[in-house]
Amino acid sequence: MDNQIYIVIIEDELEVMEALLGDLEFIEPNFPLEAANNAEEAVSVMEQIEADGHKVGLLLCDHVLPGKNGIDLLIELQNHPTLKHSKKVLVTGQAGLEDTVQAINKAHLDYYIAKPWTKEELQEVVTEKLTDYVIENKLNLLQYMSALNATRLAEALRENGLTDT
Amino acid sequence: MKLTKNQWIGLVLGALGFILPFFWEINGLSAAGHMGLSIFFLAAVFWMLEPVPIYATSMLVILLQVLFLSSEGIYLNDVTEAYSPDGYTAFMGTLANPIIILFLGGFVLADAAVKYNLDLNITRILLKPFGNQPKYILLGLMSVTALLSAFMSNTATTAMMMTVIIPIIARMKPTDPLRIGLALSVPFAANIGGIATPIGTPPNAVVIGSLANQGISIPFGNWMALAVPLVLIALLILWLVLLFMYKPEAKTIEIDMTGKFNLSKKALFLYAVFAFTVILWVTESVHGVNSAIIAMIPVVFLTLTGVTSKEDIRKLPWEVLWLVAGGISLGISMKSTGLAEWIVTSIDWGSFGTITMILVFSAVAIAMSNFLSNTVTATLLAPLAISLAVSGVAGEGFNLVIISLVIGVSASFAMVLPISTPPNAIAISTGFIETKHMAKPGILIGIFGLLLVTIYALFYWPLLIGN
Amino acid sequence: METKFTLHDRESILKFLQDTINGSVELQQHVKKYEKGTVVFTQGQRLNYLSLILKGRANLRHVRYDGSSLDLLKFEPGHFMGLLAFTTGNPSLTTCTVVEDIYALRIEQSEFEQYVNDHPDLRSPLQILMMINMSDRFLQNLRLESQMHSLNQRLKAESEELRMAYRQLESSHQKLIHQEKMATLGELVAGFAHEINNPAAALIRSAEALKENFQELPETESMALMFKSGLDAEPISSSEIRERMLEIQKRFPYVEDRSATRKLAQMPELALEVIDSNRKKISITQLIQQFEAGKLIHNIQLASARIAGLVKSLKSYSRQDKNQAEMIDIRTGIKDTILVLTNRLKFLDVNIELNEIPETCARMGELNQVWTNILVNACEILPDGGQISIKTWSDENSIFVEIADNGPGIPPEVLSRIFEPNYTTKNQGSQFGLGLGLAISNQIIRKLGGNIEASNNKVAGAKFLTSIPIVKC
Repeated sequence: MDNQIYIVIIEDELEVMEALLGDLEFIEPNFPLEAANNAEEAVSVMEQIEADGHKVGLLLCDHVLPGKNGIDLLIELQNHPTLKHSKKVLVTGQAGLEDTVQAINKAHLDYYIAKPWTKEELQEVVTEKLTDYVIENKLNLLQYMSALNATRLAEALRENGLTDT
Repeated sequence: MKLTKNQWIGLVLGALGFILPFFWEINGLSAAGHMGLSIFFLAAVFWMLEPVPIYATSMLVILLQVLFLSSEGIYLNDVTEAYSPDGYTAFMGTLANPIIILFLGGFVLADAAVKYNLDLNITRILLKPFGNQPKYILLGLMSVTALLSAFMSNTATTAMMMTVIIPIIARMKPTDPLRIGLALSVPFAANIGGIATPIGTPPNAVVIGSLANQGISIPFGNWMALAVPLVLIALLILWLVLLFMYKPEAKTIEIDMTGKFNLSKKALFLYAVFAFTVILWVTESVHGVNSAIIAMIPVVFLTLTGVTSKEDIRKLPWEVLWLVAGGISLGISMKSTGLAEWIVTSIDWGSFGTITMILVFSAVAIAMSNFLSNTVTATLLAPLAISLAVSGVAGEGFNLVIISLVIGVSASFAMVLPISTPPNAIAISTGFIETKHMAKPGILIGIFGLLLVTIYALFYWPLLIGN
Repeated sequence: METKFTLHDRESILKFLQDTINGSVELQQHVKKYEKGTVVFTQGQRLNYLSLILKGRANLRHVRYDGSSLDLLKFEPGHFMGLLAFTTGNPSLTTCTVVEDIYALRIEQSEFEQYVNDHPDLRSPLQILMMINMSDRFLQNLRLESQMHSLNQRLKAESEELRMAYRQLESSHQKLIHQEKMATLGELVAGFAHEINNPAAALIRSAEALKENFQELPETESMALMFKSGLDAEPISSSEIRERMLEIQKRFPYVEDRSATRKLAQMPELALEVIDSNRKKISITQLIQQFEAGKLIHNIQLASARIAGLVKSLKSYSRQDKNQAEMIDIRTGIKDTILVLTNRLKFLDVNIELNEIPETCARMGELNQVWTNILVNACEILPDGGQISIKTWSDENSIFVEIADNGPGIPPEVLSRIFEPNYTTKNQGSQFGLGLGLAISNQIIRKLGGNIEASNNKVAGAKFLTSIPIVKC
């Protein structure tokens, strides 16, 4: 299948990674999941996704990682020609105020979820951010109506000036 | 650009269709007719199988006609006994055919209405009196959808209505059949509502355009007089069908619409222009000014005042205009090359009674447009009607206008499958309904549509058209 | 005949004048007596006469704008009263009060010229006397200035002393607050640890019970096998998951759901065989569910064990309620400290070599503070990763604990002062330190009769060697 939109999870503690994967399985039929345990791996996974002709719609990133930390990664991604369009969510228990401010200002962070998260909040945020991504990148909205926020997608459809054929 | 297997098939078949008449001598068909047939085959295949976008096919049609059938072309450009080539401007000029301009006016109005949320606000106001009982809400939604889609594209109206009903459906119990009823009511009502005015949906344009080429004009108000009664009955039937098939369980529905009318200067100006234009259109036969000319009013005044910006102009669906233009253009060559006449004379139409002909045309139109674009269906069938009339082959009961109407109206009654029309596709994409939920009422409505069209064609339309 | 006088000669001038006066009846008429207590002139008064004191004394007083008064000169014979006011014509700046009966030669302004003309030999002495008066005043001024200057100096010095004293007070205050905070925190932590204990215990027991419960549930052997595989499954890294998913996709092409493929990728071979053999019989979803159930229970057990371990270490680490020294194996505290600092030590290479050591009498909580201090310093010196090694050993007399890192080492100028209170190298932004950590640590060890020595390794990094004497309680 061509041109799928991926969700990439970056978390070094394996149990937490599994928990995130588990909570997001609901959306995997439409948005495949990938995971990485550190920043370097994440970048290579994302570049591979793009090389395969797909897009990275959303990143769910922890802050405390071996090597480069999450917020630094998100800031660097702003310079990447394609990955900077991906939506960025920080899922962490340990980012201090200064770091978080940096993330918001320099990395244009899209959401901050504090650990421990509730499944409902996570699922809702993911759905909304992917809806944002699909609308902003002018993708085929009809395709995602049943998986994402249909009202907002219909709203975007309406504003796009649709035609009969 | 990678092509799929189906696209390759379409391209190859189209090419074959184009080449075929060069090798196949047909009796009774002039050289020009053969050329016309080539182009017709190519166009039909490309439009039906869509290896390339349908608007691109339309432009291709115009180009081929200019190259091979016009007096400035490279092939049949000399006047002969069998064929007198049209000037190339006849073909190219379809891009500015009055009906195209009429549609442009409609697009500009509709786009501005969306931009200033006029559609949403009208919906909000008009839905209020319908209370909160499910069956009346259903009626209300359908009526408002139909009303809006008479002036805006059916698809845009559906998209807008979806933003209203999705939250409602999301709140309902998952087993409530009303969910399906609501989800279906919008696309179906939009499809039907589009029949009501000339600008409601492109197939109407094809019909009016091809009639205009025959010198028959149908003023805006006249079309409405012909179509609106049918639309009203069809909506009523749709309402009853949906209530019957998907009986609501919920006792009340709350419609949660907030919002205010945009009262900025530009918005007020828009409301004025919109009302003014519609009034002029509807009273066309009173003041005699052509509706295409009236359509220039919104185009000019909305762009002059910046209500419609450059960005808005860019976003207009120009490809629909191309699509219709190509269809009208094809009609021209089919007639002037004698192709249409030849097609027509191949069948013994005389033996068909009026009723049969109406039924056949309607049924074919509905069937075809369930699988093809409605506009393409009208485009392919309208020239047939024209040639039937012109050749006189069809005999007494054949009235060109009525048959054209039959084709145009029937083309909008195709609602069985998600691919039948974009509004259907939008409704299915929400995930609230499945194809089987759509097909059953779709088929029923198709049948009722067939019946309605036949009855109207036999009894009501002749009254208005006289003859 | 003009007698020559010099400027320093007040007495002889006075004598001359007195003689001249005594020899002139006219002059004698101008001699006035002022009795003790009389106010000769007041501040603000304009004076048109001059008085020369022949005998007696007077007091000059100046009242300031705020009502306070200054006592100025004391007038004696040979002084003019009201000289300034007379010569400048300005109002008098002072009030003159007689202290000892005065006989003064009073000369009106209008008559002054007359006198001098009549008695030309008076002119010079009078003028000289006036100059003497003026210079006296000038001298007085100088003296006063000089006094003021030294007063100012003293004031400055005192002010400076006060400032320093204040600073020291501030710093002691801070120390106290810090200690208070630490004490409170310590109590909070201890309380917290106690509280968590119960739910942690409940978690562990329930997880275990759940496991036993679930083990009875599966209806077929295949299901039971899947459950058991799940129980034993360890989490695998994301890159391994990716690799295995590719293999799974080849081996189980009929599995279309990506989530299911991922779950298969995390299964051991045993489980995969069960799935293979049951392809037609049991739905793969059910088999996966059994595996998941086992894995989730295993995860719960792991997580609750971790919580319990942390709680235990936390309690053990704080031991606030033990204010008594007792016989302890220091290694327990070291291990607890390491566990409690897991978060900080996560990305470092920690090398532990805790050889057997005898018990000694000490407070575990205090010693834990010492290890914490040294380890936290090491963590902070290695922000991008590195190695820390912790070793214990003993000889007949002492226990040795060595904590070393492979960081940049301690610069020599810091090394000599490292245990000083208030000495800190952390003074930027969030890295603020009071410089108390190592000082307190030093204090604790010294109290036990031991010693901490900071040095640099031969190869790289710093080393803290703590020695504690082995004693009985």
